Amino acid sequence: MNPLSRRSFLHRTGMGMGALGLGPLLSQLNAGDRSLNPLAPGKTHFPARAKRVIHIFANGGPSQVDSFDYKPALAKYNGKEMPGESLKTERKTGTLMQSSFEFKQRGQCGIWASDLFPMVADMADDLCIINSMFANVPNHEPSLMLMNTGAERVNLVRPSMGSWITYGLGTENENLPGFVSLCPGGVPIVETQNWRSAFLPGAYQGAHIDTKNTQVAKLIPDIRNPRMTMDLQRRQLDLIQEMNHQDMAANGFDADAEARIHSLELAYKMQMEATDVFNVEREPAHVRELYGDTLHGRQMLIARRLIERGVRFVQVWHGAGQPWDSHNEIAKEHGRLAGEADRPIAALLADLKQRGLLEDTLVIWGGEFGRTPTVELPTPGANDANTKLGRDHNHHGFTMWMAGGGAKGGFQYGKTDEFGFKAVENPVHVHDLHATILHLLGFDHEKLTYRYAGRDFRLTDISGHVVKDLIA
Amino acid sequence: MIGFVTQRQPRTATLLLGVSLTGIALLRAEEKVEAKNAETAVAFAPAQIEFFEKKVRPLLAESCLDCHTGTKSKVGLELNHREGWLAGSDYRKVIDLKEPAKSVLIRAVSHTGEKGIPSMPEKGDKLSAEAVATLTEWIAMGLPWPVEKEKPAAANDPRQHWSYRPVKPAPLPADAGHPIDHFIRKAQVAAGVVPAPRADRATLYRRLHFDLLGLPPKYEDLKRFVEDPRPDDEAYNALVDHLLASPHYGERLARLWMDIARYADTKGYEGAGRERRFIYSYTYRDWLINAFNEDLPYNQFLLYQLAAEQLVDANGPDKRHLAALGFLSLSKNGSQDEILDDRIDTTFRGTMALTVSCAKCHDHKFDPVSTKEYYSLYGIFLNSLAVDTPTIGEPKPGPEYDAYLKGLAEKQKKIDDFLSPILEKLKKEHPTLANNQGALMGKVDREDRRKLTNLEGERDKFIADSGLEPDKAIVLRDREKPINQHVFIRGNAGRPGELAPRQFLSIASENGVVKPFEKGSGRLEMAQAIVHPANPLTGRNLVNRVWMWHFGEGIVRTVDDFGIQGERPDHPELIDWLANWFVENGSSVKKLHRLILTSETWKQQSSNPKTTENMLVDAENRLLWKFKKKRLELEQMRDGMLDVSQNLDPAMFGRPVEILDPGYKNRRSVYAFIDRQNLNPTFRNFDFSNPQETTGKRQNTTIPMQALFTLNNSFVMDQAEILAKKSEANPDRIAALHRAVFARDPSESDRQLGESFIAAFGGETSAMGKRQTNTEWSYGWGDIDPGTKKVVFHPFEHWIKNVWQVGKERPLKNDPLSYLYADNNGSAHPGHTARESLIYEWRAPDDLVVAVSGEIFRSNVGKGNGVHVKVATTKDGVIYDQVLVPAKDKMAVNLAEVKIAKNECLYFIVDPHEKDSSFDSVRWNPQITDLGGHWPRWGMAESYSGPATPSSTWGAYAHALLNTNRFLFID
Repeated sequence: MNPLSRRSFLHRTGMGMGALGLGPLLSQLNAGDRSLNPLAPGKTHFPARAKRVIHIFANGGPSQVDSFDYKPALAKYNGKEMPGESLKTERKTGTLMQSSFEFKQRGQCGIWASDLFPMVADMADDLCIINSMFANVPNHEPSLMLMNTGAERVNLVRPSMGSWITYGLGTENENLPGFVSLCPGGVPIVETQNWRSAFLPGAYQGAHIDTKNTQVAKLIPDIRNPRMTMDLQRRQLDLIQEMNHQDMAANGFDADAEARIHSLELAYKMQMEATDVFNVEREPAHVRELYGDTLHGRQMLIARRLIERGVRFVQVWHGAGQPWDSHNEIAKEHGRLAGEADRPIAALLADLKQRGLLEDTLVIWGGEFGRTPTVELPTPGANDANTKLGRDHNHHGFTMWMAGGGAKGGFQYGKTDEFGFKAVENPVHVHDLHATILHLLGFDHEKLTYRYAGRDFRLTDISGHVVKDLIA
Repeated sequence: MIGFVTQRQPRTATLLLGVSLTGIALLRAEEKVEAKNAETAVAFAPAQIEFFEKKVRPLLAESCLDCHTGTKSKVGLELNHREGWLAGSDYRKVIDLKEPAKSVLIRAVSHTGEKGIPSMPEKGDKLSAEAVATLTEWIAMGLPWPVEKEKPAAANDPRQHWSYRPVKPAPLPADAGHPIDHFIRKAQVAAGVVPAPRADRATLYRRLHFDLLGLPPKYEDLKRFVEDPRPDDEAYNALVDHLLASPHYGERLARLWMDIARYADTKGYEGAGRERRFIYSYTYRDWLINAFNEDLPYNQFLLYQLAAEQLVDANGPDKRHLAALGFLSLSKNGSQDEILDDRIDTTFRGTMALTVSCAKCHDHKFDPVSTKEYYSLYGIFLNSLAVDTPTIGEPKPGPEYDAYLKGLAEKQKKIDDFLSPILEKLKKEHPTLANNQGALMGKVDREDRRKLTNLEGERDKFIADSGLEPDKAIVLRDREKPINQHVFIRGNAGRPGELAPRQFLSIASENGVVKPFEKGSGRLEMAQAIVHPANPLTGRNLVNRVWMWHFGEGIVRTVDDFGIQGERPDHPELIDWLANWFVENGSSVKKLHRLILTSETWKQQSSNPKTTENMLVDAENRLLWKFKKKRLELEQMRDGMLDVSQNLDPAMFGRPVEILDPGYKNRRSVYAFIDRQNLNPTFRNFDFSNPQETTGKRQNTTIPMQALFTLNNSFVMDQAEILAKKSEANPDRIAALHRAVFARDPSESDRQLGESFIAAFGGETSAMGKRQTNTEWSYGWGDIDPGTKKVVFHPFEHWIKNVWQVGKERPLKNDPLSYLYADNNGSAHPGHTARESLIYEWRAPDDLVVAVSGEIFRSNVGKGNGVHVKVATTKDGVIYDQVLVPAKDKMAVNLAEVKIAKNECLYFIVDPHEKDSSFDSVRWNPQITDLGGHWPRWGMAESYSGPATPSSTWGAYAHALLNTNRFLFID
């Protein structure tokens, strides 16, 4: 007997409800009731440009002046004191340091980008580069929190952006979690707080997947029954549902009990789909080759498979801790990191585009902040005495890019100063970025709220302006 | 708390009553109000109004109003109405009516560049000289502005909001019967809804059991109650008393209160090297359990939690009450400001359902709580920040304890040895600080401080891990000489405003009168004010929470917000009557339970024959026309599973334990280790409270992740197997299992379903035979029998470090099987000859037509003689046969269509080819696709797993019962 033919219980429950003479009234009450099914699709405030998001998090803080923010003056002033205002960052820095990466103009748009990310840079015509991002402080924890939750104080518990978006949009595929956070090898600093749902229901928390684990069944807790095959489990489930059904017929309809009957079926299907989605072996060889047979290639491909199946928000972290934090030997370190990520990211963009998914999938790339154009100095107690040729944290100005999902391609927005230190033209605060992301998803960031502890909370707290210029 | 935008509430005279306005006060807010009152009713000449409309209004719209409109105005300066101009910003006045040119605002728009005068507008162009002149002239006229539609200003005095009014119980008529039923029936009759009949004894027994103890009933106990010859009420009332006297009652109630107290065993996020655990958090939890079991009067219960150290003798017999302070001290860590805010929020939302934290940056937008009052409370907590851990238990002497003390001394010595030379050196460098340890510590350099943190972290970890320290309370201590707290304007510590004397909230004080506290921090006096009979919120809050614990919803559904933004009570007379009754009855929580549980309202069925009619009037069941069916909470579910399998460890109290992950303990869930920072996602999946902040009401969601847990988690299946094993001796196993799980006998239909399940599941299991794994795949070696042409398959017998292989060691010495293995990414190696071929076996779970795909890789290109690759079926023998030659690194192995019957097998065979197995490492991950489209694809690597511990048939049956709604819901 195949499993689908046994699914009749679902239909039967529906009929059971009708048989009690309550059908129309109760199904109306039940339909789209998000207290019963928190992941039911939600309504946007206005038509959306993007339906889903992939946020590629270069955690640790990638350098803008070595990637997408071209500053010829750095070469000219290499080794010299930076003229003008000195800005405070986490540690002591010295003179200006030129980039080791060569910049050239890319694509039809002619945007300058370095060969740190050669393949991504060559897709400049699809990128909407924001050179004037800024945050509040030069420290990882608060900046991560700001980027992920809109509230930088580490101990202030706010839902993550992915949770907000899943809360707003629900999911298009109940067989998978609505929000997935891919992070290989462990967790970033501040840990699971990065994808927590806080006061939003647990259904909106990010499901963390350690993509370093190649055993599919171990990626999601309890996704497989370790003691019976699926056909035996189907038989067991049939017994459970039959008893549930008989009890409901005897005791009368109950919406919560009905919801649980439904969720058992979803869980059964999820076992198949969730293991399937992480199995990149299913992809044709040419697609796997496009992404590359590496950890990052695999996780970027998983990201595409997830959003393709209706997951709303996928966050792809570079790795545990803060890999992009190149205080030392940035040319070597950034070179290695970008070497891992460049092809997979470019492949993702190309693949999404080829499938027509880029149109309504918003891809975001960036860190929690950028890095200084000046060189970090060895300071006893602060860093390694051998620190050299690295860059310190910089929240005054940094670069992020978006692609697809209604973001303007081949477009560069905002400017930092002559040396790439501080955002000076059209500065975009993290709150503004959040407001813009929500806007692209069809939400007014001031109206996507949740009542908690007597107040209406929102991702952008009391700030944020939609940057209309970024929208195609 | 992050502040919401500033909105000034016009204050009424009553609001200011009792607030002591000292001479020092320079309160902008009050000034702004005065300005508003003094200047509102001014009439202007039409020409002046025209001047405003033509010249000034366009100018404002163009240059000012983007940032200075309404409640979101920058620095609180609202320029979109006349009162806003008069009131000024949060920091100062901006216009000078007498000398308009000297107005701050005029200087700002003139870009004078003076210190403290910002150049405005911040965005956009500087105003022309003409525009500045216009503004100056307009100010000189006295700000003519047309009379605009009056804002619906606080027409309703917020003090008249229901929850701020004194508790006034309505008198009960003599024939009222049960008071709760009296009020509820009255509302039902008025609305025309019909209550449900009383539930039967068995249903009530189970409901009571879970409600009061958090545990399922036992079959024999339930039976005894059902058969109790006494009249219903008599038997029932005796049962309520019996359950209230159970020690498990305290465990259930403590956990409910722990949601309010945002209980956790860790502090939250901590930097590297620091110990996150509190070490003694559990003493608070244990105190709660005892307090509920002893029915400590509620006012005493709160007083201890807020100020125990000032109420009990630390050396006397009551010292155990010190642990009550965990309510405050177990706050999440953070900056001082965050800790204080958390304590204020937990205290006032928890005990009074009042969101005072909203008043941190601005006067509360809705409720009568001013920023100054917030900082009055802030000052109280600021002066009780010091944490101390007095011992309240006894050490357990013995060799283990001695070893612990020795170990601890070593850890401490490491710290001292590290620190003393540093301090010696610093003392020489800073002789003036020689006697000031604190100041000297401040001079320790960053690297040394990091090392010191690590050493201290190691010591603390040692203490926490050992669990041998005697019990200690985590208490707060008042500062000896209290420091005075000022208002932080807009929540900014860098902008101190007027002094905020340590005193209580006027809204919750008798007649609104408050006076500064006199004793230390004032924390004890604050606690006394919270429990004061005149406080209208405390009693209502408690009865509402207990009501919610029994009915699933509060009388006020927003249980931690009784403010203007919260919901109104569904039964206002009832909540007041209960609040008053509660206090009159000695604030006994147990008596309150008894009152609620003996009402007919609570005893209703969870279904109602008049559902359709009632739903049309009251779809949300606010009139309580039926009992709300409730899904078991995480703790009830887990404890219930342990209990029905007679596997629950009834030990009470003590250090927290792991309750779900492997290595879990069978203790009750109230003893779970709660990791505030990285809470096990399963907890949240089941709507467990967020341990970061006080939780009034848990979410109630139904999501597939919950079902995945109950269907697949080892904890659940372990209990099911134990349960099944215990039923073995019983000749009627189905009945035995139903009695254990549901405390009821199975119905005839249950029995039939059970029997047919046992037959079918058992039949399928035996047809499958003994399996190596629980998937369709097995891994092993063998050959094709030359006679029968059938596959001879020997499953590997050893699972070593996640690899299936022949023996414990690999390779085996001088053995043709020496290199055989298969691992999780499809990598494998055959034995010496075709007789020792590598084989993956796949068993069909159904009659199927499948396709086979995948590539086989061989890494040693050009070396050896290649491998012989075959696919065979049980029935037809070999159906695919190809050699992967040495020159090639891979070969596709595809079969378009293979018919296979249920429980027959497909074999994937790698023969080393011509008895030469050198360089024969391969990687092969065959994929099998159901062409019927019903089954997911099977991949060898995706399914790869270790040895089977299959569910027994009866275990699977018991597991099914644990997964039914009948078990997981309370009717």
